[in-house]
Amino acid sequence: MRALDDKPVSRARGSARLWWLLIAAVMAGLIAFPQAMSSPYGLHLMILLFLSVAMGESWNVIGGYCGQYSVGHAAYFGVGSYATLMLLQYKHVAPWWGVWVALVAALVVSLVIGTICFRLRGPYFVLASIAVAEIIRLIVLNWKQLTNGAEGILLADLPALKLGDTVITDWLSKTPFYYLGLALALTTLLVNYLVQHSKLGYYLQAIREDQDAAHSLGINLSFYKNVALAISALFTALSGIFYGLYIGFIDPPSVLGVDLSVQMVLICIIGGIGTNFGPVVGALVLVPLSEALRANLLTKLLFAIGVVRESSAVGGFLKENLAHAHVLIYGILVVVVILFMPDGVLGFAKKLIARGARQLSEAPQPLVGGLHGPTRD
Amino acid sequence: MRVLLQSAASGILIGGVYALVGIGLTIIYGVMRVINFAHGELLMIGMYLTWIIFTWLGVDPFVSIVFVIPLTFLFGAFLQTTLINRVLNALPQNQILLTIGLGLIVSNVVMLIFTSDYKIITTGYSSSTLNFAGLRLSTPLAISLAITTVITTILYLFLLKTDTGQAIRATAQDRDAAQLMGINVKRMSVLAFGIGTALAGTAGSLISPTYYIFPQVGGAFTLKAFVIVVLGGMGSVVGATLGGIIIGVTESLAAVYISSGMKEVFVYVLFLLVLLFKPSGLLGSSRM
Amino acid sequence: MALLEIKHVFKFFGGLAALSDVVCSAEQGKILGLIGPNGSGKTTLFNCITGYYPPSKGDVVFKGQRINGLQPDRVCKLGMARTWQKVRPLAKLTVLDNVMVGALARTNSLKVAREAAMEHLKLVRMERKAHFLAGGLSIGERKKLEVARVLATQAELLLLDEVMGGLNTVESEEIIQLILDIKKRGLTQMVIEHDMKAIMRISDRIVVLNSGEKLAEGSPREVVQNPAVVTAYLGDANVA
Repeated sequence: MRALDDKPVSRARGSARLWWLLIAAVMAGLIAFPQAMSSPYGLHLMILLFLSVAMGESWNVIGGYCGQYSVGHAAYFGVGSYATLMLLQYKHVAPWWGVWVALVAALVVSLVIGTICFRLRGPYFVLASIAVAEIIRLIVLNWKQLTNGAEGILLADLPALKLGDTVITDWLSKTPFYYLGLALALTTLLVNYLVQHSKLGYYLQAIREDQDAAHSLGINLSFYKNVALAISALFTALSGIFYGLYIGFIDPPSVLGVDLSVQMVLICIIGGIGTNFGPVVGALVLVPLSEALRANLLTKLLFAIGVVRESSAVGGFLKENLAHAHVLIYGILVVVVILFMPDGVLGFAKKLIARGARQLSEAPQPLVGGLHGPTRD
Repeated sequence: MRVLLQSAASGILIGGVYALVGIGLTIIYGVMRVINFAHGELLMIGMYLTWIIFTWLGVDPFVSIVFVIPLTFLFGAFLQTTLINRVLNALPQNQILLTIGLGLIVSNVVMLIFTSDYKIITTGYSSSTLNFAGLRLSTPLAISLAITTVITTILYLFLLKTDTGQAIRATAQDRDAAQLMGINVKRMSVLAFGIGTALAGTAGSLISPTYYIFPQVGGAFTLKAFVIVVLGGMGSVVGATLGGIIIGVTESLAAVYISSGMKEVFVYVLFLLVLLFKPSGLLGSSRM
Repeated sequence: MALLEIKHVFKFFGGLAALSDVVCSAEQGKILGLIGPNGSGKTTLFNCITGYYPPSKGDVVFKGQRINGLQPDRVCKLGMARTWQKVRPLAKLTVLDNVMVGALARTNSLKVAREAAMEHLKLVRMERKAHFLAGGLSIGERKKLEVARVLATQAELLLLDEVMGGLNTVESEEIIQLILDIKKRGLTQMVIEHDMKAIMRISDRIVVLNSGEKLAEGSPREVVQNPAVVTAYLGDANVA
């Protein structure tokens, strides 16, 4: 049986080499980017992208792989950023120490939710995740002595990052945040990859596909769900900490609001839930979209191509409101994706490609897929 | 002691409204097994409808229920046939996301049309109180409790005594068996969602004289509605009724004895405790 | 020696007695057939044994150890695995990945699990479909996948719930051969089946349930000649 040897393998090796070349090129581009880009807005856009990727990849572990949809992940984002910023602003604890306290806090929250919900069947986890996020938001909002309530926390400045006596950065431009954000995004991508290609990943996906079957195959459901949630919570908290340090200002709506939680889910489902790159695709769609909305680019486009006149009533209305409509767009996107693209953009593309391949070849082809994507092992 | 009784009484009054919201949600879940995260927005629609009718036609908010009920029922039926029906067999996670998205769309469209400005309905009796057994009760809330009781009674009679009502309960108990018995389960789903929406909309009308009206007001009600439904037992109408009262009283006591800003925290903590100790709720599940 | 003993097991759902004083045992290396009309409690018994829910009364003893109330994952680790009446493939995973999930019950290494999974796929003759998505398989293939999956957990006792249900004659024959192969490897099996011919061929002993009670027990020939069994279980009683 010589069928599976020679040609296909060398072709696979060839295409794998191409992938690595592509990845290396992208990495080189990303690293060189701040040197080439003079506009701070360009850096800002990339930082937002990195942040979205990190948030999406973090949610993916519990939502995409394990199938437990949390719509309250803002809880970890907010706990992370509030803990670190409160320690920094009020107790002058440098963020690279404060981050550990924040991570422990996020872990505790995840264990509380997990212990209560993961032994139950049914939709309780989703509901409880929303409830916990709301509880935390309301406490932070009302406990003014501790958190400054609705006024939020405004960072005075960040201590310089020093190694011994040499200053690595004093955080005064966007460039250090760019590299930090890039590192965060890459780390979450790596964590996703490691989870996916480990026993943990197999078990999480088994739980997602059929909980009872997984249980009967020796999988301790509560334990593994809690592990997934803990990992997800830790990296979501890191994303929150990064956001707080970069923007320099946090308040309950911006880091603990339900809009944020929905956004995290959206990043994943747009790209393709349960895939390694789905959140990247989702971020690439959502960040430019919301920035374009904010900067009124969409309205300007409609004016430019003449669909709407700026001076008309509709024109005035759009100019006033479309900028604030990004949550409406999120809502529409969620509905459209759920109804028409449940596997996200990536899944939709895969289906189209598979259908195309099937039509090209003579015999009907199976959908080859599974955990390993285009390259295997 | 008087403070305790007073706040408990206020709690019962608002609890009646909560019960309506909860009953609507539990009927939807019972019949369709759909977790409707847009439920609070449906209440908000009721509030705005009432405000429109009040501002443009000068009709008293309680009287406008006569219009709100059929209008919201139709809206619910519309939503069910166009959107919800498509996800009846989807994963529960996707159903939840769909209704969350729907809620966002509804609240943001309202925001675009009406802006985020707080609106209020002021009637002659908006701030008056009446005396009941030595306690002062808010008049509009007392009227709303009376109306709620009437509506709930009609609903119970409908579910228990009429053929359609029994068909709804049968579908909730066992969808497949009901279908085999010749019940049009698709129509039951539309009915259930319509009734659920109408109940939420009515609740919105009932509280419109006493609450600020703004597009995001639905959010807190959605979560509270779920707490009520889980507390009472998912799918149990009687449970939702009791749950509504309990949540209303809990919230009222928390507002008085702790702080108004934190009152919801106690409701949500109660929710987590219920999940911890008696997740099937007070009255179990899948029974109407 | 009895690998599994079911001692006076009752199971109540509200007022309904789904299982009533059931006593039987599975001898090591043998095949115990479990038959009975629909609703007689066969799957309920499986669920009680594997920890899906605990028995209301009585004891389930596996390898000399009382296992009432243990969670299903613990039961699997102890060496018992079951297939499902309504097949439960892990649809979005490949066939190989499905079996690997079973194999991972005994190892933490993906490499070891993958090799073991391939071995078990070869046993059920599905190795060509290793990289197909489980959700795209036919019913016969799904049933074989479940068998491979439970074998990969290195279970000593396999509980097979209507593993021939919905299969044609060729597919059923394949499964029968598979079951006999498994017996040759020294594993113990408890098989729920409606196909009387098959059950007669493979079972060393048969237990008959009716309305939650044990109606009869004995060798295949004894059971099939038992008038009470014939009366209660008219089903597809075309005995060879």
